[in-house]
Formats: sequence, structure tokens, C-alpha cells
Amino acid sequence: MIPALAHVGKNPERRPQRRRSLARRTADVVGRAIADLLQNEDHARASGLLQSLDPRVRLATVLVMAVTVSFLHTLPTLALTIIATMVLASASRVSVASFARRVWTTAGFFAVLLSAPAATGWISPGYELLGHGALSITAPGVLVASRLILRVVAGAGIGMLVVWTMRWSDLLGALTALRVPDVIVATLAMTQQQIVSLMRTVENIHLARESRMLATGSTAENRQWVVGRMAFVASKSLKTADEIYDAMLARGFSGHWPTLRRMRMSGRDVLWLAGLVAGCALVLGADRLIAK
Amino acid sequence: MSELSGNRQDAGQSTTAQPQTPEPSTATTVPGAVPVPAFRLAEVHQSYRPGVESLADVTLQIASGEHVAIVGANGSGKSTLLKILDGLVFPSAGTVEVFGKALTEESVEEPAFRAEFRSRVGFVFQDADVQLFCSNVLDELAFGPLQLGLAEDAVRERVDEVARGLRLEKLLDRAPYTLSGGEKQRVAIGAVLAMRPDVLLMDEPTSALDPRSQVWLLEVISDMKRHGRTVIIATHDLGSAAEFADRMVVLSEEHRICADGTPDEVLDQRDLLLEVNLIHEHAHRHAGRAHQHPHAHGHSHQSE
Repeated sequence: MIPALAHVGKNPERRPQRRRSLARRTADVVGRAIADLLQNEDHARASGLLQSLDPRVRLATVLVMAVTVSFLHTLPTLALTIIATMVLASASRVSVASFARRVWTTAGFFAVLLSAPAATGWISPGYELLGHGALSITAPGVLVASRLILRVVAGAGIGMLVVWTMRWSDLLGALTALRVPDVIVATLAMTQQQIVSLMRTVENIHLARESRMLATGSTAENRQWVVGRMAFVASKSLKTADEIYDAMLARGFSGHWPTLRRMRMSGRDVLWLAGLVAGCALVLGADRLIAK
Repeated sequence: MSELSGNRQDAGQSTTAQPQTPEPSTATTVPGAVPVPAFRLAEVHQSYRPGVESLADVTLQIASGEHVAIVGANGSGKSTLLKILDGLVFPSAGTVEVFGKALTEESVEEPAFRAEFRSRVGFVFQDADVQLFCSNVLDELAFGPLQLGLAEDAVRERVDEVARGLRLEKLLDRAPYTLSGGEKQRVAIGAVLAMRPDVLLMDEPTSALDPRSQVWLLEVISDMKRHGRTVIIATHDLGSAAEFADRMVVLSEEHRICADGTPDEVLDQRDLLLEVNLIHEHAHRHAGRAHQHPHAHGHSHQSE
């Protein structure tokens, strides 16, 4: 347990309903985000199905499944894909409940928001299921919105699952192997470390304020303080970026980012890819049949 | 002949648990000739903003193999001086030479000079988080040697050796942000040692270390001393500075060198240390009696 995260409870939302200060709430949110990142590292170390595959094959899996999902039109095949991602999560030692919650509360939530207008008679006129007129919920609208939501959740689910089960260094190795330019790989390499570092700064800033506050403060005061701290964090991140670049120069950085990572595909990886392509082709075929 | 014509060390085999610190080669030393100093600074001034100097009139010569502590209060210019020695910051006025060759913005841009300079001078930053920019410890240790253009086998050999010496074997596949402060500092030092530099610059290296790790670091530095490496450490910890250094250079709060001598000579100058804010009068009670004496931060606790 990281000492800085000691204040982050398992279910902080269930604490007694007392108004908590902005500083405490923000520190908890940032703390949970850091804890999530560290938990991802644990997922990536587990000995599951996805973790056992070559990182390039895992990236290819995302690509193949994302393309497949984008061509699916029927709700049963989209639902089947979502179920497949859950089975994959389970086989990769990721808690299915936690996986489903995180996918639906992020991608699912925004998909519902974005697709809501499509469910109305204004965008999709047709048989009215609820209400009347432009704001009514129509049968074709529900179909369109459901398709969009399921498609987003299926696509985002597989993307998130692969990222959770892949160490950052493996992801960078896969990108290098796939000939992604050095500058992009270098930027990504620094990103995660610096994001965590800045998040810890933000968390400590809020905890420091919390420790010195006698009251929770008014909304206006909190707003003013947050804006000031945002400026500080932005300025600190620029300074840190300069220092990192100095550190890179000091170790001879010349614009190239060679690594020791070498990847080898095994028979198991080839089998997986073949099975994946065959499975996706089958689902696409079934989708066409159902659509007819 | 290399761009930097001082003594260049060859890669040898380590015989201790510490990272490899081979004997410096003497092939380029002419008997009777005056040895080329590692660094020579003449009337160096540095200011980040007009009218606000971070270093003023610094003239300093550091011989190869010397162990020098740059001591001074916070904001006295220690970090700036180290960055100048590492060619990351260039003086507003004055000259800097490294192994007898001018260290300027232009020379650092020359590929041959730059490659050799970077391979010979290593810099451990104060904030390990800044220095750890790779996605795992293995890549971090390999970054410098790979940038030097070494073959993969040679890089792996260096990485294995440093990892063994600094007890990092179990951390190699870990992301830096999952490490403790002491582990990060060990990786940061290991990442520089993997380049086998002749000169090691360290900015407040003990600040994030627990007592055991501080002792370990002093052993690493002693090992470098045995092998003739130059070590320059910026610190305000007079205790550890006195333990490792042969020479102490004191920077005042006006960013000038105000003392330069052996640790004993410098530490005897109580008034000077008080004036430059390296020690302060500390009043407390011993056995019920009020008692006052100079107090330095770090290991040292000098009673009169």
C-alpha cells in the first residue's frame, strides 16, 4: 500500500453522509486513480490468457475485434461480442464484475449520453414507444441507440481489457516492433510515469490544504483555489518536462529510442490469431444472416 | 585520439559486488606532463533572469580522481554549477573546460565531442522521478549504454552487472512509478553507473535515502574513489560530505565560492558556516540544562 493512498478507503462513497471538503474529495479521486493504475500493473502480471500472448498479437487482437465490431449491425451479435470480452476478461484473471463496471461507467455512460437523441422521434421517426412528437422514444430510435451503445461498449471493452492486461513496457515494445516512430514511443514512455508523478502532486496539494482547513470553504473560494492550483500544476509540468529532457540529454539521448526488448511469436500466438480471425468471420457471417 | 584528451577508462571486469568501476587507463598520460584537470572554470557567471545571478564569479579547477563536495544552502547555486559541469546549462559569462577542451553550446552539439563527453560524465539528478523516464527499470538501466551505441550483448552485460551490484534484479520489469523513493534513487544511480562514466556528478544524492541506503551510497562512492573516478556531489549535508570528500567547496548565499579546502579546514570555520547558512545555533536542553551549540543538517551534529 502506498502511504499516500492510505486515506483512500475501499468504498469511500459509503461513508456517513456528511459534506466533505473539495480538497478531501479531489484527493480521494486522484488517489483512487493512482490505485487503479497500480492495479492495472497487477492485472498485467497475472498469468492469464491475454497476458500469455505476444504483445503484438494482443494489439492485433484489439485491431481485429474493433474492425469486426464496427461492421456488426444486429443486436444479438453485438451482445455476443460483449459476452466474449467478458469471457476473455475472466480467462485473463480480471474480475468480470469490476471489468463490466468500469467499461459501462466510462464508455457505456458516454455512449448512452451521445446516443440518447437518436432514440427520439426527432432523429429517428417511427412507431412511438413512449411519449409523443419530436421528443418521443421510437422503436427505430431505440434500435439505433442500442446498436451504437453496444458497439461502443464492445469496442471499448476489448481495448480496455488489452491495455489492462499489458504492461506499459510491453505496449511500447509492441509499438516499436510495429515500426511506430521513435518520437511517439518516447513520448508514450514518459507519459505514464509523469502522469502518476503529477497526480501525486495534485493529491498532495489537496491533502495539504485539507490538513490546514478548519471549514470546507465556500464554492467560490474553492473555485478560486482550484484555478490557482491548476496554474501551479501546469507550470510544474512544464518545468518537469524541461528537467526530464535535461536528464535524457545527460544520458546521451540523440533522438533515437533503442531498447533491449525483443519479441518472438510462438505457435500459440499464431493459433490464437487464426482462431480470432475465424471467430470474427463467423460472427460477421451470422450478423449478415440475422440482418437478412 | 579522442575529442576529449584526458585519461579515458577502458571497460574491465568487476571483482566486487559493486557496479563495475575499472581502473583508469594511463595510456595517454605522458610521464612528467601536467595532468589535464577534469574541469576548469574561469570567472563563471550564470543568471537565469537579467539581474538575478545564480552563480557569480566562480573560478574552480577539479583534478581527475578528486572527490569534491559542493556545499551550500538551498538556492546557493549548487545545482546550477553541476548542470554547467554537465553541459546542460551554459554560463552567461566565463569559460568552462572539460578534460582540457572548451565546453560550450557549440562543442556539445558536435557529435563526436558529445558522444564522448556524455559517455565520460554522468549526472544523477536530485529528483529521481525526473531521471526515470523509461517504462521499466530494465529499459532505464539500458538507456544510456544503448545511446552510446554499444552492442546489445555489451549492454546486457552492463545492465546485469549494475542490477547485481545495486540489488535491482527483482525490480527489472517494474515500472518506475511503482518503486519506493530509495529504490528509485538506486535505479537513478544505476542508470548512470551503467554508462561507466569517468566523472560522476550527483545532486543531493542522499536526500531521498534512508540511513542504510546512505551507507550503501557512501560505499559506492568509496569504490569509485578506489578506482580513480572523479566524483562531484552537491549537498547541504555536511556529515556525508565530510565522509566521502577530499575537498569541500562552499558556495555562499550570494552564489560565490567563499571557501575551498579539505573537509577539516572548512568544517573548522564555524563563523563562515554560520554565515552561509550551513549550520545554525541550536538551543535545547540536556539533563534539564539549557544548552546551545552549532547544528548542521544531515549526519553531523557538532558540539562545542
